[in-house]
Amino acid sequence: MTRRRYRLLPHTADLLVEVRGSGLASLIESAAEALFSLLTDRRRVRPTGRRVLVIPPGPPEEQLLLALRRSLALFDVDRFLARSASATMESGCVTLTLAGEPADPFRHAAFREIKAVTRHALSARRGAGGWTARFLVDV
Amino acid sequence: MRFQDVTLKKISDTTWEIPQGAGMRVPGRIFASEAMMGDIVRDEALRQVINVAHLPGIRAYSIGMPDIHWGYGFPIGGVAAMDPEEGVVSPGGVGYDINCGVRLLRSSLGVESLRPRLPELVAALHREVPSGVGSSGDVRVAGKELDKVLSEGTRWAVSRGYATEEDVELTEDRGRFPGADPASVSETARKRGEDQLGTLGSGNHFLEIDEVAEIYWPEAAQAYGLFPGQAVFFIHSGSRGLGYQVCDDSLDRMADYMRQNRLVVPDRQLACAHILAPEGVRYLAALAAAANYAFVNRQLLAHRVKETVERSLRMGPRDAGIRLVYDCGHNNAKFEPHEVEGKVRRLLVHRKGATRAYPPGHPDLPAAYRPFGQPVFIPGDMGTGSYVLAGAEGSMRLAFGSTCHGAGRRMSRTQAMHSARGKSVLSDMARRGVLVACASRRTLAEEIPEAYKDVAAVVDVVERAGIARKVARLKPVAVVKG
Repeated sequence: MTRRRYRLLPHTADLLVEVRGSGLASLIESAAEALFSLLTDRRRVRPTGRRVLVIPPGPPEEQLLLALRRSLALFDVDRFLARSASATMESGCVTLTLAGEPADPFRHAAFREIKAVTRHALSARRGAGGWTARFLVDV
Repeated sequence: MRFQDVTLKKISDTTWEIPQGAGMRVPGRIFASEAMMGDIVRDEALRQVINVAHLPGIRAYSIGMPDIHWGYGFPIGGVAAMDPEEGVVSPGGVGYDINCGVRLLRSSLGVESLRPRLPELVAALHREVPSGVGSSGDVRVAGKELDKVLSEGTRWAVSRGYATEEDVELTEDRGRFPGADPASVSETARKRGEDQLGTLGSGNHFLEIDEVAEIYWPEAAQAYGLFPGQAVFFIHSGSRGLGYQVCDDSLDRMADYMRQNRLVVPDRQLACAHILAPEGVRYLAALAAAANYAFVNRQLLAHRVKETVERSLRMGPRDAGIRLVYDCGHNNAKFEPHEVEGKVRRLLVHRKGATRAYPPGHPDLPAAYRPFGQPVFIPGDMGTGSYVLAGAEGSMRLAFGSTCHGAGRRMSRTQAMHSARGKSVLSDMARRGVLVACASRRTLAEEIPEAYKDVAAVVDVVERAGIARKVARLKPVAVVKG
């Protein structure tokens, strides 16, 4: 499992998350892993299955939001929890592969319920040291 | 008092006005004490009250309740009424958890007689009432059956034996929002809702056993079936994943609508559409469906609580005497008649973290409650207690028939987690005399009592402002959290 590439920032009602990555694909990997870290202890998730999300070309913020929303839907609808994420980018299209397994209430601690990933404070910027993004999850 | 570049006008000890500045269609009105305003001006929530005042079709005031805090687009604790002809509907004015609300169940049981069996009862409730992240209910509904839930609300629960006619009578809007259209709910939203009926969820949702600790208005308390020392059951939940998805789906559609119609608002989170536009009509139809789902969700939770308590205490329904006091939502938008500038108009009232609080005599209230006003439940933090209020005359005149909904957070979740670090929240709650069962210790840490404002101060403001009246205070004895 990769080292932690996200942190929580103070916010009154919800959770504001900051993630980093060397490129946009790596940023989306970090964001997806951060999202699943908010749901459960990823160290206890076995990477026995895979889900692949294809995010069409678009502004980086929109690609990030779509990747996060679809990742959340994987949990909400299919009860899939990811241990790790890997992403590649080709012709502006991001392919996000999530390795994990179906949630098991006996093995996977449930941290909190996430209602949605919102557009509030949504940003994805490239700086000298790579990419940084922020997103807010409604809990 | 100032908020950024705005000078607030003090109207009374409990009411403040944000003057109508450039672009604002109406002034802002905040219900708060001077001490509370000192805190409120440090948050961005007042900016959101100002932003909401810019929306097309808003009437009279953009309103903030004393539990106001920052929310998505609209503040939580916000009320805004729109003219249907020219006004807009905004999902941000309702929130992600559509028709999130509270219901109170009364019983014939005294807390003192219950206390020896409380650990056993709390364990049974924690086991039997589905709670926590991704929890599934026993009642799985899909296809046409889900359509019926979305269209009929509590009436569906009656047809399946989970509710009585009395439950329908004692639920806001008789447990059914009109105009619900299941076809307006996306497939993803339906999937998120299929196995979540009768589940509590996580975060600030809870099931609580409380003791009626103090009665302020004996006649109203009697009408609501409350007496000192009584054990009551408090349920806080909403429309679960189905409602969250309806909100998410609508925000994207409305963002497109705004671009196409060059509808400009001060904050992109105020995504909205004209009420009569197809996007507005579709959202309201989906909102009504999600609201009906929420009514059924709380009804099934109540049914499970009643069954579990009776089984755990080995009592029949007559001896346990568990019956609904009332069920009311605090995240809604609905059409209601209100008087504005001397004329009664049909307005779309957005309440986000605000509760409908109809006054005595209102024709929409159950006959037994009509002399006293609508029951309103204001949960505080899990260590301190909650209040039962009754809607008062001023609610219609001052706040489109609304009042507050809770204590309001004063700490972020990350702050609360830091604050709880190294402490045992369970032991701390036990010292306060509150038994806690929880699915997630992290949620518990985020919900520590210190994370919330003083609910007594919030309730004091709405009573002094004349929009609600205190009936009783409830003291928590046990909490089940997701």
